Amino acid sequence: MIRVVTLDPFDDKQLAKFNRTLYTAFGVGSEHSGAAELPAGMSEPLDAEKLLDEVKGVRAYKDDKVLLLTSRKLKDRELLSGKAPTTGFARYGKDRAVLTIAPFKDLEKDFKPIARHALHQLGTLWELHHCLDPRCSMYPPWTPSFNQGDHIFCTFCREKSEQKIRLAKS
Amino acid sequence: MPEGSAALQLQVGDRVVYPNQGVCRVAAIDVKEVAGQKLTFVTMRREEDGAVVMVPEGKIISIGVRKVASVADVEEIYAFLRSDSDKADLDWKQRARTNLDRMTQGGILGLAEVVKGLQVLSELRPLPTKERELYDNARHLLVSEVAAALGTAEANAEDSIDIVLFPPGRERPKRTAAEFARPGGEEDDMDLDGDLMGLEGGELDLPSDEEPPAEPEEESSEEGSEEEGEASEEGSDDAPKKRGRPPKAKPADEGGEPAAPKKRGRPPKPKPEVTADSAAEPAAPKKRGRPPKAKPPEGAEPAEPAAPKKRGRPPKAKPPEGE
Repeated sequence: MIRVVTLDPFDDKQLAKFNRTLYTAFGVGSEHSGAAELPAGMSEPLDAEKLLDEVKGVRAYKDDKVLLLTSRKLKDRELLSGKAPTTGFARYGKDRAVLTIAPFKDLEKDFKPIARHALHQLGTLWELHHCLDPRCSMYPPWTPSFNQGDHIFCTFCREKSEQKIRLAKS
Repeated sequence: MPEGSAALQLQVGDRVVYPNQGVCRVAAIDVKEVAGQKLTFVTMRREEDGAVVMVPEGKIISIGVRKVASVADVEEIYAFLRSDSDKADLDWKQRARTNLDRMTQGGILGLAEVVKGLQVLSELRPLPTKERELYDNARHLLVSEVAAALGTAEANAEDSIDIVLFPPGRERPKRTAAEFARPGGEEDDMDLDGDLMGLEGGELDLPSDEEPPAEPEEESSEEGSEEEGEASEEGSDDAPKKRGRPPKAKPADEGGEPAAPKKRGRPPKPKPEVTADSAAEPAAPKKRGRPPKAKPPEGAEPAEPAAPKKRGRPPKAKPPEGE
């Protein structure tokens, strides 16, 4: 089950559409599971890793994947090879991811790129690596063409995610 | 062999990399008695899923177990990935062999070479399924080792690798086959054949190039032996194309002669062989041999040398000698 938890107010209709898209992409139930509060003392831009560790008020079962949705900016990560633009962050193979819509105008107007980023983060939760296919949602998200693509997976990534989901169910 | 493996001293709690398996932690080093021998076993637990493997201490080096790379090694890897010098090998057999060696014995640099090589190749054309899987495996192993080396989350390790491979704000370059071509220039053809096996886009095209020539050859050889040479000469250029599409056209072209091919075609294939071996004898063998099908060929032989049969039962090789 995918649980979308909002950290800021969003329109219910848009969230319903967002959940339908996630359901279509993964074949797993997706629902808006309420709101959660930001940890105290955390200011914008948010530290994504810290946020995932410290956010409270998220209720989920063990196999659930939680996607935190916020409209606030996330801080770019400083890595050994350079600065990683961060529109979202997910722990590989774990159960929590965060996604910001700050680089976009609106969940409604920029629905496609936001859904694509959401698929990317949830794919990371299901142990998908970055993909070589520019049309796939697992393509590195900081590339210029990423936001122009559809919210779909390539055949390889789709099959792998389905396999992971089947394993998780069994 | 991995660097420094000759001097590999393991202790409980060490993090090591098991080739093709990933990062493991040494859980125990025990002496156990196996088949009367006392052996020292190193027990390793894979960090990813907790899978346990026990390896005799003496085999550690030959298997290729090595310690996790250092930060300096990772920086070297980034420098390698950043360089534009790597060109993928267009010969798929050679490439597969090389990549296999790199995966098992190449260390972290070998993993990076596989990832880089296949990534560069993907800029020329989509990877075949098997190589896509190999790319994913290599990437997974590389990411997990880099994460272990840097002490960071795997997502960060992957992003740090991909920032090098896919620099922000830049699209991947599109390569052409000419960039990969070597002076000989013959490898392009080999590569096309190889990639077809991996579900390349041109699947439908090549079979049409490969198969039709084979069929016409068989047909022309049959016809050539039975018919006059004129027909084969006339249609030598056009025949492969015309015959390849409608194979039923043959009987219409030649009126009286096709009778022979029809006779051969109706019965099962083994029959013509029997008739070819002994033309006059088959009548008797048929009556005797009808119940069991295997008998006719055997029955034909014993019919003539009845006496030799009794004598020659022990060695079955005699009948052919007599014939």
